[in-house]
Amino acid sequence: MSESTTYTGFWQESPRPGILGWLLSTDHKRIGIMYLCCITTMFIVGACLGLALRLELIAPGVTVMTPQTYNATFTVHGIIMIFMFLIPSIPAAFGNLLLPIQIGARDVSFPKLNLISWYCYVIGAILAMFAIFGGGGAPDTGWTFYVPFSTQTSTNVSLVAFAAFMLGFSSILTGINFVTTVHRLRCKGLTWGRLPLFVWTLYATAWVQVLATPMIGITLVLIILERTFGAGLFDAARGGDPILFQHLFWIYSHPAVYIMILPGMGVISEVIPTFARKPLFGYWAMALSSLAIAFAGSLVWGHHMYASGMSDFAILIFSFLTFIVAIPSAIKVFNWVSTLYKGSIELAPPMLFALAFIFNFAIGGLGGLALGAAASDIHLHDTTFVVGHFHYVMFGGGGFALFAALHYWLPKFTGRMYRHKPAVISWALLFVGFNITYMAMQAVGIMGMPRRYYDYLPQFHTLNLISTIGSWILAVGLIIMFVNLWQGARKGRPVGKNPWGAATLEWTIPSPPPIENFGAEDPVVTKGPYEFKGVVADEY
Amino acid sequence: MNPLTNPTAQGVDAVLIYIFGVSLLLLLGITVATIYFVIKYRRSKYPEPTSEAHGSLWLEAVWTLLPTLIVLTMFWYGWTHYLGLRDVPAGAFEVKANGRMWSWQFQYENGRTSNKLYVPTGKPIKVKLTSSDVIHSFFMPGFRIKRDAVPGMESYVWFQAPETGSYDIFCAEYCGTGHADMITTAEVLSAEDFERWYEKSAAATGVARGRELLEEHGCLGCHSFDGSNSIAPTFGKLKGLEREISHEGLEQKIIVDAEYLRRAIRAPGADLVEDFPPIMPAYGDEISETDLDEIINYLLEGESKPLIDGNKLIEENGCLGCHSTDGSKLIGPSFKGLGGRSSEVKRDGQELKLKVGADYLRRAIRNPGHEIVADYPAIMPAYDHLSDEEIEAIVEELLKK
Repeated sequence: MSESTTYTGFWQESPRPGILGWLLSTDHKRIGIMYLCCITTMFIVGACLGLALRLELIAPGVTVMTPQTYNATFTVHGIIMIFMFLIPSIPAAFGNLLLPIQIGARDVSFPKLNLISWYCYVIGAILAMFAIFGGGGAPDTGWTFYVPFSTQTSTNVSLVAFAAFMLGFSSILTGINFVTTVHRLRCKGLTWGRLPLFVWTLYATAWVQVLATPMIGITLVLIILERTFGAGLFDAARGGDPILFQHLFWIYSHPAVYIMILPGMGVISEVIPTFARKPLFGYWAMALSSLAIAFAGSLVWGHHMYASGMSDFAILIFSFLTFIVAIPSAIKVFNWVSTLYKGSIELAPPMLFALAFIFNFAIGGLGGLALGAAASDIHLHDTTFVVGHFHYVMFGGGGFALFAALHYWLPKFTGRMYRHKPAVISWALLFVGFNITYMAMQAVGIMGMPRRYYDYLPQFHTLNLISTIGSWILAVGLIIMFVNLWQGARKGRPVGKNPWGAATLEWTIPSPPPIENFGAEDPVVTKGPYEFKGVVADEY
Repeated sequence: MNPLTNPTAQGVDAVLIYIFGVSLLLLLGITVATIYFVIKYRRSKYPEPTSEAHGSLWLEAVWTLLPTLIVLTMFWYGWTHYLGLRDVPAGAFEVKANGRMWSWQFQYENGRTSNKLYVPTGKPIKVKLTSSDVIHSFFMPGFRIKRDAVPGMESYVWFQAPETGSYDIFCAEYCGTGHADMITTAEVLSAEDFERWYEKSAAATGVARGRELLEEHGCLGCHSFDGSNSIAPTFGKLKGLEREISHEGLEQKIIVDAEYLRRAIRAPGADLVEDFPPIMPAYGDEISETDLDEIINYLLEGESKPLIDGNKLIEENGCLGCHSTDGSKLIGPSFKGLGGRSSEVKRDGQELKLKVGADYLRRAIRNPGHEIVADYPAIMPAYDHLSDEEIEAIVEELLKK
């Protein structure tokens, strides 16, 4: 990162000088920054692959890549975006940066474990790069690794499965650390009823990480066994069952969706009260709905499999449970909007991203209803509607929440403010580009275009063309946003402790925070996280 | 989109319209409320909030219960209409569909097979699905039906088409390189037309048995006849072709013959053709020895009678009105002795001499204005309505004359 001389706090204080001071650091903020660098890099790589996919789909037939290249590209796009970007993005990067500070602690419970978890991530990411660029060819199974295809293809599936296994370990270790930290290290006066919502969502997420991730680990090892030794577990000809794989895969991978979105909801629950200067509406409903989503979300994996040949009774149960998950999500949306009522609303960049999140997430969530209902899912399943739907949740939701977090908290950790005008321009481009890209994708899916098609029939052309043009607007927005944030971090105007006038603990310490966050005395909390009376924003 | 009149689509669409309709209302409500609050309570007008409400029990109870009721109706509506997709009406006509990389094969009760799904109108059709390699998914968007075809498992979909027509069938479960090309159609015929098709034996179709087998077994999903190499090597001009293969890792040159083709079908992994991925599934019992002989014979010898009769096309398209076959000069040059004749033509105003070959003839039919034979007027219309196969058949005949 920047070597600017005015950088103080944890950027300078370190027991070791130079790069080792980072690579061997157990400081949660340094580890958070290292995660942030990694996930940003992965996001940019994944986004470029996504743009390449959209370019291929600009017209029917082969346009810029062969079918095999297209299949490898969407597989790698998915693996990078899910295992290396979305899952660690907000929990690992912003969770590490903020969780200890928000609960008034000097670090997480197990700082060394925290560093190990970062190394697991890096090893996993490097292995994945070998799998992608090494001999044998990039994996072409889709990120879902469905058998029997994944046991037959000659590409580097085993290696990438092992890479995902390592990444899973990173996620489990972070989860254990966060659960323990929230239980053990809350400062004096910080009762469960005064926890910031971001902490609540990280806590709920951490439980999912600890409980669900081992499932994917085992499943991926089974794939490797199947490929290496021909174990026959998923081979119908030898008494195995290909559908069993799908169950095992989704038992993790559906809860993983909540690992990706819950912390994002936490970010939004921080940003909206701050810029409305009003307590979050329905604090306990928000906190408990996070736990409810994490719990109920672990029981709905079968809704990915309505067309798989699973029994009709299983479909009945899974469809019912899926609709139950919709309820806490709806409560969250209503409570965010009510927080705005009779507030004092400032449309600063983090707030704009948060409002865009609500809109995108509402579309993603409502689209999910059509996928949760058994009859309509039969038509929409495995079409580009599903692709559009999960991009609305993962990118329009999780991604926009990350952008909100970047605009909200980066000034805290760099001590510098980015320029607001380019930030608003980038927000507008991202919002418009995003909705064009993925709304067109959903529409063409309703028309019946299957997903993972490099080529399509002429009736799908117009909407695909629109979607591709939307992706260019999105790309321009991303470039402006990243350049602006980077310049802001390096040369922006210095900010004080509390540029936004927020009421949680991180805004009571200097920007950037010092190495153990709080001075000689531990903080004592006497009020809720969203009591803005008497809190004054610093000029910047 | 036309309102669909078939029963499965009507059921699914009712659910879709209900869920999308309610969703749209909710989205509209949320968005309008957000925008209204953001404008009304802007900081420039309200420097401090005018409420310190931490929540409201009854409001929150309302928007917990209301969504619960709404989503439960969606769940129930979706479930009951899903049952409609599973309950096949009595007396359905059954067809077996087998998915394989990357084509469908349909098998009818009388033993007839096809690569398109032929069904009669007005009758419920039950399609029994399975797969011989990886998971595929049988998807007919026009009927809103979809079901995975899983190896070692049998499942089904049903539909009923009130009107004749051609409806797309896609593979919706990703299955490898040719996934996007695993497209075919359901040809819905009137009851009489279907009966005629159904009863017609293979011999009567005029299609060589070898060719028909290649279509049935989905070979043409990857292999072409026109010389283009997309996913797999072309079937064009196979006989005597010298080909580089790798056999157990060793590269060697072989001449394509019956022995080689037999191996390539029964055990495609044994000899891999250079530059192509090793993706072809092995064909065992599903192709009998007699059928295999038919296929090999067809691949090597073509057919005694061409699939498309070039001479017939020449007659049907009126070529002989201007071109003679006996060497006499009519409005256009005679067809006699075309193969190997050298001809003076004008291209872009420049005169040049060229030898008549297949390439030249293809151009001359598709785009006759491009090269005008000396001393003849440029009056021939472009025959671009002919398919590639038809042009090939014509060119082949012309070169023989």
